[in-house]
Amino acid sequence: MKKLIALALALVMVLALTACGGSAPAKTDAPAAEERTSFIMGIDPEYPPFSYLGDDGGYTGFDVEICQAACDYLGWEMEIFGVNWDEKLVQLDSMECDCVWSGMTILDSMKEAGYVISAPYYDNTQVLVVKEDSGIASSADLAGKLVAVQLGTSGEALLNGDLAELAASFGEVITCDSFLKCFTELAGNSVDAVFVDLPVAASYCAEHDGLRIIDESLGAEQYGIAFRSGDQALCDEIEGAVAALVENGTYAEIAAKYPDIVNNLLFLSE
Amino acid sequence: MTLMTMIVKMSEGLGKTCAIFFLTLLFSLPLGMLVALLRMSRNRIVSAVTRFFITVLRGTPLMLQLLAVTYGPYYLFGANVARNKLIPVVIAFAINYAAYFAEIYRGGIESIPVGQYEAAEVLGYTRMQTFLRIILPQVVKRIMPSVTNEVVTLVKDTSMAFTVSYQEMFTIGKQIANSQTSFLPFVVAGVFYYVFNFIVDRVMGRIEKRLDYYK
Repeated sequence: MKKLIALALALVMVLALTACGGSAPAKTDAPAAEERTSFIMGIDPEYPPFSYLGDDGGYTGFDVEICQAACDYLGWEMEIFGVNWDEKLVQLDSMECDCVWSGMTILDSMKEAGYVISAPYYDNTQVLVVKEDSGIASSADLAGKLVAVQLGTSGEALLNGDLAELAASFGEVITCDSFLKCFTELAGNSVDAVFVDLPVAASYCAEHDGLRIIDESLGAEQYGIAFRSGDQALCDEIEGAVAALVENGTYAEIAAKYPDIVNNLLFLSE
Repeated sequence: MTLMTMIVKMSEGLGKTCAIFFLTLLFSLPLGMLVALLRMSRNRIVSAVTRFFITVLRGTPLMLQLLAVTYGPYYLFGANVARNKLIPVVIAFAINYAAYFAEIYRGGIESIPVGQYEAAEVLGYTRMQTFLRIILPQVVKRIMPSVTNEVVTLVKDTSMAFTVSYQEMFTIGKQIANSQTSFLPFVVAGVFYYVFNFIVDRVMGRIEKRLDYYK
């Protein structure tokens, strides 16, 4: 009898939470735009060259520098909040940060869930990285092999969506909680390839010997900034500030420091 | 994705979660006894060294120990990382839990009055006989609640295997949560862990009752 009651309670718990699971995130009572003096930027602190811990111990990266310049332009105090990448939207909703801006791929599911997404600023391509001496020349050679991908990245979303057929041909897709672990697995021979964003692959391969990027782009996507639903005004202000930075040349100046990604920046190629 | 598909997908990972759980118990329960005996050794060096290892294992996060066991050999010696992650995961869990079990065993063994050892000696029991026939049965009964505590914690700790990319139930839950932009998989995971622990609680309760043959 007791078992039955416990089971029934568990079921009620599931149903109660199912009911609210699908709905759009609640509107927030963020301060009105004119009162705003500070802005909390949500980043993945382990995602070079967009956002990472710099040599001096402070956060830096292309996105961080652009955000800093935009906040300076708007006269806001910028704070940085390192999100847990696979729970970034939950953390955005719970007001821990005001945006997620960290090489984030725009997914349709985000828009469907009600998030305000900025105009794309970066054209992203997914590639496979293998060991130089592995003899793997294309994604077809990876049939039955192990492929690592970082959980919560666009690569993982692709393998579950558009590239599901390719993913099914792999022996297994191993999800890691950081891209560094993916590459450690590759270097340690426990996986045969890493599926990752091109700029990350390029900057990692530039610093580490023995790796090779397979010349095959497997899904082109775009990066944008995510805001809470109802924060359209905030999104407009940030976009306006970034546009001003593009206009006055600051944007190109910052971009020049990041040669790996400069060719894919949409605002500069226009 | 419907709730049913989610549950089915996550149940597939539950097998891997169970593998960590049962293998960890299988190795850590006896290993803990060995560690406890070394810790109580009359040889001061043996005792001090064991004590040091226990403080390290209890004083550092299990997550770090998982990383050290899995990737340590690669970073230190360039050795290959294990393809089957269950091996390093179980090694790390078993060593960590052995340290906790060892201290629980020690507490139990030291709670038995010295008078019993003296009485046993008078009756002609050898030290081995005294330990196995008189001390140990009492110890097992006394430590059951503390052991249950650890076993319940172990069920929840299995989710940490994700740090080293072992694809257990919670990892799959996170994958679904990501691809569906939904919080629901975490609720399902919560229910799974609760039901798992509900069963553990029942089983341990039953064992405890069985052992209460003098009451």
